[in-house]
Amino acid sequence: MTAVENRSAFYKNPNVAGFDDVPYEEKERLIGLVKADMRFPDYLYGCYECGICVAACPSARFYDFSPRRIAQAAARDDVELMYQQMQEDVWECSQCFSCVRCPRGNNPGGIITVLREVAVNAGLASAREALEGYSRIIYKIMSTGTQVSPDMLQPDAFPDWGPEVKDVSDNLDMWRRALPPETLHTTSTGWDVDERTLLELYLIWFHTGALDMIQEVDEGLHMILQEVMEERLEDAGIEV
Amino acid sequence: MSETIAVIGGGPAGLEAARGVADLGGSVVLIEKESFLGGTPIRENYAALTPNMEPAEVAMGRLIDGVQQAGVEVLLEHQVSVCEGDAPEFRLTVTGPGGERTIECGGIIVATGFEHFDPGRETQMYGYYEHPDVLALQDLEAMLKEHNVVRPSTGLPPERICFVQCVGSRDRQIGNEYCSKVCCGVASKEAIEVRQQLPDCKVFIFYIDMRMYGYWENQIYWPAQEEHHVQYIKGIITEVLKKGDKLLVRGEDTTMGRPMEVTMDMVILSVGMEPSPGTRAMSSVLGIEPNKYGFIEAVNPPLDTVSTSRRGIWACGASLGPADLEDCASSGAAAAMKALTFVRRKSVAVG
Amino acid sequence: MPIPVEALLKKKEHFDRGPHDPRSEDFHHELFELEEQGEWIVSRVPEPFVPVETKYGVTKKIPKAHLWHHKSCGQCGHIPGYSTSIFWVMRKLGYDYNDPRDQTSCTAWNYYASATSNAAAQAAVAIRNFAAAYETGYFPLIHCGTSYGHYKEVREELLHHRELRAQVREIMDKLNKPMVMPEEIVHYSEWFYAMRHEIAALQVRDFSGIAATVHPACHYYKLVEGDAIYDPDVYGGQRTAVVTGVAEALGAEVRNYSTWFDCCGFGFRHILVQRDFTRSFATLRKIERMKEEADPDVVLTHDTGCVTTLDKSQFAAMAHGRNVGVPVMSEAQFAALAMGAHPYKVCQLHWHSADYRPLLEKMGIDWEAAWAEFQQDLKRLESGEKQYLTWDDVG
Repeated sequence: MTAVENRSAFYKNPNVAGFDDVPYEEKERLIGLVKADMRFPDYLYGCYECGICVAACPSARFYDFSPRRIAQAAARDDVELMYQQMQEDVWECSQCFSCVRCPRGNNPGGIITVLREVAVNAGLASAREALEGYSRIIYKIMSTGTQVSPDMLQPDAFPDWGPEVKDVSDNLDMWRRALPPETLHTTSTGWDVDERTLLELYLIWFHTGALDMIQEVDEGLHMILQEVMEERLEDAGIEV
Repeated sequence: MSETIAVIGGGPAGLEAARGVADLGGSVVLIEKESFLGGTPIRENYAALTPNMEPAEVAMGRLIDGVQQAGVEVLLEHQVSVCEGDAPEFRLTVTGPGGERTIECGGIIVATGFEHFDPGRETQMYGYYEHPDVLALQDLEAMLKEHNVVRPSTGLPPERICFVQCVGSRDRQIGNEYCSKVCCGVASKEAIEVRQQLPDCKVFIFYIDMRMYGYWENQIYWPAQEEHHVQYIKGIITEVLKKGDKLLVRGEDTTMGRPMEVTMDMVILSVGMEPSPGTRAMSSVLGIEPNKYGFIEAVNPPLDTVSTSRRGIWACGASLGPADLEDCASSGAAAAMKALTFVRRKSVAVG
Repeated sequence: MPIPVEALLKKKEHFDRGPHDPRSEDFHHELFELEEQGEWIVSRVPEPFVPVETKYGVTKKIPKAHLWHHKSCGQCGHIPGYSTSIFWVMRKLGYDYNDPRDQTSCTAWNYYASATSNAAAQAAVAIRNFAAAYETGYFPLIHCGTSYGHYKEVREELLHHRELRAQVREIMDKLNKPMVMPEEIVHYSEWFYAMRHEIAALQVRDFSGIAATVHPACHYYKLVEGDAIYDPDVYGGQRTAVVTGVAEALGAEVRNYSTWFDCCGFGFRHILVQRDFTRSFATLRKIERMKEEADPDVVLTHDTGCVTTLDKSQFAAMAHGRNVGVPVMSEAQFAALAMGAHPYKVCQLHWHSADYRPLLEKMGIDWEAAWAEFQQDLKRLESGEKQYLTWDDVG
């Protein structure tokens, strides 16, 4: 029996979860990676479809998104549905973890974290698309050790935040020097980070494979980062 | 060596067990810590019993009369504090208003029952201790018994009242990984009573699964929907908050697959069963193994529902776990049979 | 009232958790066991500390002094009055601290927003920061709600997965840093709660006419929910006591609203690239409900993302005629104002979006004069008289 015939037990139409151009084996492989993750057994038990997670979820109010469907699909090992969710739903989650109120002990937000990581690692276009416009944050944190910096507050980046964004950007240098804490006299980083500290962060991402994930998200960014950081590592006399 | 059976706990199971032993010609002493018999249905002022709608006081009254007519020695306001010896020669120290005394017995039946789950320990945010109009099943029973169902905040009858199922049960985080068996039936029964007493009040039940087994399906569930128009919604509530002078309840209407938020006048939490303080105490005083939830462990399931880890000691009713009245009557009788067999034959009952 | 109702209300007056709640199991046992097995060093909470109660009755130690400030990216970057107020209050209370440069971001925002990370990287970052604190002899105080929630998550993962600990140890060896896990993971709002009476003792502005609503951060009380502060005197122990405890100690009136448990809508990624979600949620579910039902003078919260979301989402909503327009700040800034802090030099309110001036007026603060003072200080910086403003300059 082929994979398609096997699946039709669930659907009248075997293509109802979409993505029929992707071979079943590939979907199974990716979902297999999700299930093999160290965190997964802590995140999924069974699901009795009570809906508490949906009731507490902010994204469920705004999007056609349901943490219950995430947990249910995972609990019944529905590869097709999980693959569809990996492609279409997971980026709507706000990672607030209101859903850990689950009486069975499930963590749908956590399952989503793992689904996202597998999507990023696999270089799925939907993941890249979802993270478009986000790569500057990745660059910021990798090159400065802080995720947010004062010079990011520009009116063209945040026109909807109000007129004080322009005030901040116009007066940035002065307003930062007017802060009493000694570590906050910075504009390109959140606070003044030691060079050594920065390199330690880079090395952590290098050794844990997180850096490879950045390559999947934005190849150009990854290249720049690598160049910049390798130079700094060399200057500090650190070998990788 | 005494052939007396000591029955600890005078609720439905204990009453059935005590009368059963006496009816069979055995000698029995019934030890009850309250000043009255009848157990939780009487102490918590239950109204009608599920499913036959007989008033609790009347039904328990029959059991109590039975015990009195059978000549059972009843010790009210007494508690067992020490157990010495082994079967068939136990020596129980009981303490009561008159002081201490020792009871020699050949067998012991534990019937110390359950207590209602305290909603303050619930994982979800129900605000039982914050909102006057959030009550538990037994709180509504007390009002139904008085035929006076009102909103505690205003003293006026509610126009919209809802039940929330599985409170304190079926929850891995709380640790009560079991179903409390009766709450779906009891909530539906209370819903029917509310509809009867307040015909203009809308009644809702929010549930994960509706569990009314056997004949309860058509004795309670179908009439609740069909005759009394109780509205059942599949999707449990997670939060109860105050909105104006009403309560806002939040859940998912899973039929429609979307989050839902509606106002209610009163919220009734269908609290589950946990071991009573008496059950916990007896497990340590008598040296019988509790299960992981603190109820008395029945060691030979499924066909022997009453034998404990200690020879000569049996348990019945809700001291074993969630139980309905039918379970109490049946296990009370089973315990009586095995205990009496044991003291007469001086051997362990087979089961 | 009929008698059953009286009896019922009496019964519901006081909640006692009782001794049989299995959730009262204390994670500290495992923490110290692993230390005995040589898996890590547990950095101890220094004396003096304040013992407080968490949700299931486990005691948590909140150190008063010798704190290593684990700063928040968003606070330091976009709401610097938030971090400044935390330091300022600690200085006023006379407790020593370390403000490190040897601190990385927790990187949790990246983890939750983009998932371009993994369990090992996240755990290694946490341990690295804890080790850096340990090396200074100071104890970490976490400024951001997300950092705090995430570090609790990481602690759970490390407690239960030997292979993760091994992975992290390998990396720490490469960095020449010890494996350190602190005895407690302490959020700054827990420090403020523990210190609330000492703070109130130094209060100089009268807040009895100020009405506040409180927004509790999801990552504070929903992630690893047992390790959050609950107090029978605050909400009857049914909701977390931080922020509210401080506001009440300062004499403000804390008002309720029907979406108290709702997330603010920050969304991590959404606030950057899908702002319609964040803005709609923050406006419709939080700000509008607060205004409608409680009409507060200020919204208080204790997390970077929450302050950002609730404060910044109002401007665009106002353009659409929505019922918004209430200032948002951290309880740290609120407490600082109560203690007489300068609204611009310390609380840095000029970085905030929603109009805070009516609130300052209600507090009896002449904000025009204050702004003029601040402008004077800026002139001194401009002229080159001073390079930076210091703690001595801000009072």
